[in-house]
Amino acid sequence: MMRTVKATRGRLLLCIAMAVCVIVGVNRAIAEQVIVKMWMHEHPPRIAIDKSIIAAFEQANPDVKIQYEVIPVAEYGTKLLTAFASGAGPDLFNQFSGLVAQYYNARVIAPVDFAAMGYADEAALTSQYLNGFDGARFAGRLYGIPTEVSNWACYANNKIWKEAGLDPGHDFPTTWEALPAIAEKLTQRDANGVPLRRGFDFNWSNRNAVWMTSSTMLHQLGGNIVDEASYKATLDTSAGRRVMQYWADWANRRRLGGPQYTDSRTDFLAGRLAMECSFGIWGVPQMKDAKIDYTVKPAPRFADAVSDNGFDAYAFYMMVNARSPAVTQKAAWKLARSYVDHATDLFTGAGLFVPRKEVMDLPSYKADPTSAVFIEELKKAKFSPRVVGYDQVADTILRGRDRMVQGGEPVADVLPAMNDDMNAILRRERARAEAMAK
Amino acid sequence: MFGIRPRPINRKWWGLVFVLPVVAFFALFSVFPVMFGFYLSLTDYDLLSPPEWVGLENFRNLFTDRLFLTALDNTLVFVAGSTVPVWFASLLAALVFDQAFRGRDILKATFFLPVLPPVVVIAVVWRMLLHPNGIMTWLVGSFRGISEIRWLADTVLAPLSMIVVHDWAVIPFFMMIWLAGLAGISPELREAAHIDGANAVRTFWHIELPQLRGTAVLVAALSTINAFQTFTLQYVLSPDPGGPANSTLVLGLLVLKYGFQYFRMGDAAAVSVVMFAIILAVTAAQLRFNRRAT
Repeated sequence: MMRTVKATRGRLLLCIAMAVCVIVGVNRAIAEQVIVKMWMHEHPPRIAIDKSIIAAFEQANPDVKIQYEVIPVAEYGTKLLTAFASGAGPDLFNQFSGLVAQYYNARVIAPVDFAAMGYADEAALTSQYLNGFDGARFAGRLYGIPTEVSNWACYANNKIWKEAGLDPGHDFPTTWEALPAIAEKLTQRDANGVPLRRGFDFNWSNRNAVWMTSSTMLHQLGGNIVDEASYKATLDTSAGRRVMQYWADWANRRRLGGPQYTDSRTDFLAGRLAMECSFGIWGVPQMKDAKIDYTVKPAPRFADAVSDNGFDAYAFYMMVNARSPAVTQKAAWKLARSYVDHATDLFTGAGLFVPRKEVMDLPSYKADPTSAVFIEELKKAKFSPRVVGYDQVADTILRGRDRMVQGGEPVADVLPAMNDDMNAILRRERARAEAMAK
Repeated sequence: MFGIRPRPINRKWWGLVFVLPVVAFFALFSVFPVMFGFYLSLTDYDLLSPPEWVGLENFRNLFTDRLFLTALDNTLVFVAGSTVPVWFASLLAALVFDQAFRGRDILKATFFLPVLPPVVVIAVVWRMLLHPNGIMTWLVGSFRGISEIRWLADTVLAPLSMIVVHDWAVIPFFMMIWLAGLAGISPELREAAHIDGANAVRTFWHIELPQLRGTAVLVAALSTINAFQTFTLQYVLSPDPGGPANSTLVLGLLVLKYGFQYFRMGDAAAVSVVMFAIILAVTAAQLRFNRRAT
């Protein structure tokens, strides 16, 4: 009897000891598991791909757990800012190239950890791409990996062109100087001369579009919005005056369009605009959905352009939070490698293009004649200046454009004030950057 | 039973215990953010790096800040256009609906409809109506052969359109407040005036209007505060918030731009503090005027 009791007690102790071991082991395993908080802006076709990449990554790396969150585009910037402000920022996140300088300046983003990504050095990574890294390179170091590189070209609605007796294949204007005459032929007006259907119009709808267009046209004339080296606005130049005068004439003298009308993308997809120049290669599925028979052409150039560039390039970069623990940063870079290695899935499934060899070798990519136009334009594209205070500077251009294009004020009067305002912003941001560096 | 009487409960302490949760909630979600806002207004803060104390520099900068001065100017114009006409129009509407006539209730309910949808919905609907070649252009311009009016793309018309849409949406609300004030006037006073031979205008001027002083202050204070805080209309109605050429940039919109687009939270907080001070001063002046008049 006594022996039975002892044996039972022994078994009980053994069970308790085993349970303790299991609990301690599990706890240690949980404690050792690295959690990576990953935030991405919403792009519905990409979400399923993201999830499958993450599932595969977690399976291959059981010590890493990914907390994936998709945030609506309209809230993304604000949520990122407030999260960083409260110390709850994501470990891995993507962001538009125009804002990367601001994050770099605040020392929020970490330089790319090539070793953690499994690359010998920077060249081993960048050699896989045609380009796309310029928007995230500061002081010679790389701070982000492109998950989408985009540039615009011009789409023509073949049906409208045909109705006007034109063929976009042959008649598409190659210069800005030739554009108004073609646009006029494609425009339908009422008795008062008000355009009912526009031939072409700029994308005036927001600061990014206005920045991209003005920067592109300035680059062609050898100018720039901001000189990145001196951190000074260079809009009040002969090139700047010419670009702004072109816009003012477009809306006021020629009355071919203007910011008062429905935005160009919406009208083009609705068949109310004959040509549009602010869609990227990602616009192809939208054209197909809208059942528009289209032709893609390179952006016009100025007849006396000193640079043969089309629209500026921009990108979304995957970046790592510099304030995350070192072990989390390494895991985040490892995940970033896994992510960008699925470039073909992201292109075929979500229309997100990165100029990697395997994407450009895809049969579907090669078979589409639009691909060649975009890639040739991308080869010549420049990245817009990486300046802190991008949103403020871009808003200043937008407001100056309003005065010239909508208010009819002379370009020569408005440009100096715009330049002064931009310089005030840049001076302030530079001073802040220098204070941060100290 | 044992000669020990329970200590009487101090009702004052119990009262405090009961209000404590509400006070704590209010302190946490209202007082603390306001105080923190005051603190941020004294810092240079981009939300990404820790705030840096700059004292009153943000306030000093505001006096030379072109954007702030433009926004202040636009806000004052908007407040002027969204208060005085609203007071008179809503009072007039209340006087009409205070009369008994056939179909009054149905008409009043219809008139009240613009108050019901959120401002965002109102703004989206009006954005379509105010398309340069839209319905409003057709209504206004067809008589003169005009087929395009830049309601929201003209530096004069855009802020004016905002005021008209705002007034259209809020007049019925203030009308209801005036109606409540009119309902509170003793019928004997009106009857006495009527017996004394006063016509409708004299009755209104000498009997009703003095009785409506309290309501007038309420309408004035609410409409002024509401107008100073305007944001949604300028953000949604305009195809380009603040545009064209900053003509619809109001202080509320500037706070958003400074804080979350320009990475200048310190300046955004300073603008908020200035807004707070202006609203406080205007409201205090209105209350003081009312007290002096009574």
